[in-house]
Amino acid sequence: MSLELAGVERAYGDATALRGIDLTVRDGEFFTLVGPSGCGKTTTLRCIAGLETPDAGAVRFDGTDVSGVPPEERDVGVVFQHYALFPTMTVRENVAYGLRFDPPAEGSVDDRVTELLALVDLKGMDERDPDALSGGQRQRVALARALAPAPDVLLLDEPLSALDARLRDELRLELKRVQRELGVTTVYVTHDQSEALAVSDRLAVLNDGRVEQIGEPEAVYENPETRFVAAFLGENNCLDGRAVGGETRGSTVRVGDTSFAVTGEHRGAVTCCVRPESLDVNATHNRFEADVADAEFLGDGYRVHFDWNGRPIIARLDDAPTGRVTIGFDPDEAVVLER
Amino acid sequence: MGRTVVPTGRTALSRRLDGVRARAAGVADAIGARGAFLVTCCVLLVVFYYPVGTVLVAAFTHGGDPSLAPLWTTLTDPFYFGALAGALADPAGIPGAIVGWIDAGFPAVRTGLFGFTAFLALLGTAGAVAVGLPGAYVLARYEFRGRETIRSLTVVPFVLPAIMVAVGFTTMFGTNGALNDLLGLVGFHVEVAFGLPIVVAALTFYNAPLVTRFVVAAAETVDVRAVETARTLGAPRWRAVVDVVVPQVLPSFLAGVLLVFVFDFMAFPIVLALGGLRLATVEVWIYSLASDLRIPEAASLAVLEAAITLALTYVYLRAERRGGRDTVAASIPRVPLLGPPSAGRLLALAYACIALVLYVGPLASMVAESLTRGGSLSAANYAFLLAQQLGSGSARPTVAVSNSLLFAVGAVALAVPMGVSVAVVTGGEGRLRRLSGALLMAPLAVSGVVTGIGLLRGLVFGVDLFGYHLAVTGPVAIVAAHAVGGYPFVVRNVAPLLARVEDDLVAAARTLGAGPAQAFRDVTLPLVAPGVVAGAAFAFAISVGEFNATIVLARDGASYTMPIALERYLSNPSVGPYLGPAAAMGTVLLVVTAASFVVVERLGGRWER
Amino acid sequence: MKRRHYLRAAGATAAVALAGCAGDGEETTATGGTASGTQTLTVATYPSYVDGDESPGAWLKRKFEAEHDGVTVEWTTPSSGSSNVTEYVQRKRQGAAIDADVYLGLNTDELVLIDRELDAPLFAAIGDGLSHAGDVTEGLMVDPEGRAVPYDTGYITPVVDATTLDAVPETFDDLLESRYRGDLLTENAQSSDTGKAFLLHTIHEKGSDGYLDYWRDLLDNDVRVLDTWQAAYNAYTAGEAPMVVSYSNDQVYAANEGRDLDAYEVVFLNDEGYANPESMAVFADSDVPDLARSFVDFVLSPAAQNVVPQRNYQFPATTTGSLSGTYAEYAKTPPTPVTLTYDDLAGHVSEWVEQWSRLVAQH
Repeated sequence: MSLELAGVERAYGDATALRGIDLTVRDGEFFTLVGPSGCGKTTTLRCIAGLETPDAGAVRFDGTDVSGVPPEERDVGVVFQHYALFPTMTVRENVAYGLRFDPPAEGSVDDRVTELLALVDLKGMDERDPDALSGGQRQRVALARALAPAPDVLLLDEPLSALDARLRDELRLELKRVQRELGVTTVYVTHDQSEALAVSDRLAVLNDGRVEQIGEPEAVYENPETRFVAAFLGENNCLDGRAVGGETRGSTVRVGDTSFAVTGEHRGAVTCCVRPESLDVNATHNRFEADVADAEFLGDGYRVHFDWNGRPIIARLDDAPTGRVTIGFDPDEAVVLER
Repeated sequence: MGRTVVPTGRTALSRRLDGVRARAAGVADAIGARGAFLVTCCVLLVVFYYPVGTVLVAAFTHGGDPSLAPLWTTLTDPFYFGALAGALADPAGIPGAIVGWIDAGFPAVRTGLFGFTAFLALLGTAGAVAVGLPGAYVLARYEFRGRETIRSLTVVPFVLPAIMVAVGFTTMFGTNGALNDLLGLVGFHVEVAFGLPIVVAALTFYNAPLVTRFVVAAAETVDVRAVETARTLGAPRWRAVVDVVVPQVLPSFLAGVLLVFVFDFMAFPIVLALGGLRLATVEVWIYSLASDLRIPEAASLAVLEAAITLALTYVYLRAERRGGRDTVAASIPRVPLLGPPSAGRLLALAYACIALVLYVGPLASMVAESLTRGGSLSAANYAFLLAQQLGSGSARPTVAVSNSLLFAVGAVALAVPMGVSVAVVTGGEGRLRRLSGALLMAPLAVSGVVTGIGLLRGLVFGVDLFGYHLAVTGPVAIVAAHAVGGYPFVVRNVAPLLARVEDDLVAAARTLGAGPAQAFRDVTLPLVAPGVVAGAAFAFAISVGEFNATIVLARDGASYTMPIALERYLSNPSVGPYLGPAAAMGTVLLVVTAASFVVVERLGGRWER
Repeated sequence: MKRRHYLRAAGATAAVALAGCAGDGEETTATGGTASGTQTLTVATYPSYVDGDESPGAWLKRKFEAEHDGVTVEWTTPSSGSSNVTEYVQRKRQGAAIDADVYLGLNTDELVLIDRELDAPLFAAIGDGLSHAGDVTEGLMVDPEGRAVPYDTGYITPVVDATTLDAVPETFDDLLESRYRGDLLTENAQSSDTGKAFLLHTIHEKGSDGYLDYWRDLLDNDVRVLDTWQAAYNAYTAGEAPMVVSYSNDQVYAANEGRDLDAYEVVFLNDEGYANPESMAVFADSDVPDLARSFVDFVLSPAAQNVVPQRNYQFPATTTGSLSGTYAEYAKTPPTPVTLTYDDLAGHVSEWVEQWSRLVAQH
């Protein structure tokens, strides 16, 4: 099942949640909507589910416009942020609920529930009450419940945000595994950019009701098209400056008193973005001096905070220097964006 | 996106039932909450708003033209509004009046009939809270034999006619009453007859169970896991409980308090029976004016009375906030009542003593009265009932009992969907919703006397429409009138619980394939079930005890209920002023009601599960 | 027409319920000849008048039907809570159907209310055709327009517990004495017959200028104004106070209950008791006025007056009626019955009750 959103708009009174969302999700893809809170990602998800109706634009399933189709008739499965397990039903009854309206094509309801509980690693928990489960277990039940009727589209609204870090990592992998096994088209919403990068086939970065950039995680990470995307995904040092066309196949960006060499032809006001991991003490190009303000040990290296003439700079280094240090970066490691 | 139903080994019957259920759900989906709400409004229009409107309109006309004169006359009558009336009549004179008041040395400010009624209502509410809240605590916190039964029986005092409560209270708390006999053993004596204290005690008797019931219903849906969370954050246990449990219970508690205040404000027969005319309330005057057919005055009093009670309801609705999110109803764990002494258990014991004196005492006194003739034990009063049963009298006890029960069942069957649909549609934020929510509480806020007159003029006299004469009386009208009187209880019990149901639960059901009605039935209803059950219990009680509307609508000689039969025995000329036969009927009423509640709640409890 | 059918059905139910004439041991005189057709006489009254076989209404129906071949008496008891005749007043005003021929159970002040509220006549003048009209006890014909005819009367006066009182009050002013402080129970004149009668008696005694001062003194002396006769009497029998405003035939009830009669002494203040006659009248819209009048006449007959008032626990309205048995023994008649006439009450009674009740409520 492929998914298409064309020009979807949604406003609540004076506040506009979606200002024209265009995106396509391919069949079987794990697609993530990522952005800060209030960017409209949950609203977009709810429009896909049919829980909200767009003011303008269309939602299409496999090319068919589903506007006006109520949620119970769209073949979607939703995992909510706080799981929304039915408190008066057992785990089994929760998972079996959707099968009342869409019984399995073959086999019995009971078998299907057992199958799904095994899929999410919850064998034997059938008769438990939701309030007797841990957060992680509840998330799995919610997933099993959403998947039981074999939906065409799986929608997940920040399903891991309520869990602790280790559990989150574990379950993220589980989710990916299950999704790959079933091949179900999945739209995943999160505000956690590292999660989005880790788990998606493709992702869309949303900001203030608009899509900033869509692409595969590596592509979007390495080639952000807007300053917002550059700063939002991962960490980035974004320096505003002026670019002048340089000599062969490159430009010079002047940030304050310092000039940096970058690849590509750029002119005028620009932002020069350099990832912390691109900064190196031993770099041969684009060197500048900065004072160490702080250093955090990460286990596999350090995140060092520099003060470069009042500008904060973050670098990922193997060791933590002190005092005044010279660091630099390769010209083709920098991404230059028009301002 | 078709769905094909493939046989999965279920029986033909269960499949057919599923089909029926699916079709019903489909119809329910089509009707939806809005549709049910519309039907509710139609019933209300016919059985309440139109009849009452025909009476209240007299407050807005003078000599056939629209006018505020009747209302203004009432507002500026110091008998009704005390000092406020003077201020309204002569605003320019206020400063001078204040100066005069200060000069006179701050004499007591006259508050008029409305002021006194509000004062009495305040005292009654305070009493109801003081007695009702500890009761709720005991029922919610402790486990003991008969807990469910006692919880079921909390609503029973509601149904008792005022004269029976007066009998019980006089026998219990009177000068020669049981309490004084007991206190006399230790040399004490209380003189409480006819005063404010005994009236407040009687109001408490009627209404404390209301507070208890509302709070217990809410307590049964509280999420206590957060208590543990609060404790891990360092809060002492009592503090954790207060911070976690109280906010979840507060909306229902306030709803109960509001209703108690409104009831106490509108209290009438019990105030006069125990306190006398010196403790007259607004209702007393409405009744008197209406009996004398001075309708414009009665109507303006009723309009002002309703304005006050509806305004209070609106204020309450503004304060009713959506509670915190709780997905899961992990209810308060109950501890056994009998056990090592603790502060809680001692409180429970003290409470049991108070409840014994306040409730069991008067009720037992009424039963004792029914077994007394001429000062000694006798079954003569029950023999009277038997004679009525076998004879050709106009009030056979078994007919009265069966009518009462049938009407009550019908009233509940109608009131519950009405109340739930109103709770759903008028729940949530928004001024329009709150306004309509307040207006829909009107059956509680409008004087019962006025309602009776309205029903007489509107439904019984009938209207001539298109050449046909339409008059509505008899069992159908009675059931509808009872349902109208009871459905506000369903609304006020369900609404706070409804507000606490997480939106995502219904959304989850919808995405899994349930239509709106199905999702409501599968997900929301089980979560508000305690409120529905409590509301239904009250609706049942109100129906059993209802008199004003029933006496008007039961014209066919066969639709009389237990309160009506009791009234007949009271005015039976061969019995005279003696209350033995009425007390016998009152005992029957008490036993039948108590038994019904216990039975119904056992069934309801099984459904709640 | 639906209305006729409906009320007829209601009346039929009531009639069937009341038609138990088995075993009264009397022979019904069969009138010869065939009836030309059946006529129905609908009589409206209050429910207790027709409640059961021993009720006055049951006797009247049985006897009247026996004497009038082809006539069916249907009782109708519209209950609207308080006074029943106000329902007919409202019906008349609104143009709704009045399907009754006779109304039985009027108080004098209700007549005042009817005349105040309605321009068109609700009741017709009874005329001169009644054979027993001359038997009516003097002073009980309350209607200057000749519509209402009394069928029984009661006397309202204080009843005291002589076993606890040192001295029994004898005059109205006695009640103001400090030794009776907090001793008197009376009822709410707004709604209770006894309360209203007592109030009117004080007005008769003290005049319309002086009664409020009298009541102010009474209230200073802690008189209790309770709601209904039943509530007040319950307080009285529970020993809350030793004096209660009640009926002069109270000892009949006490004797029936087997109580000590000394605790129920009937006191006639100033040797007076307030007479509260109950009257009947024929509806102006009745379509069987002659039949209705003959019913009224029948109620006034000696045969009826010997039975019916006693069954109603009242006193006969005519000089030809008498009481029998233990009832006669215990029912007391005041030496000087006192009553306020229609003319006394017209234009005043509402105001008197309002002023009085305001005084009490604000005291």
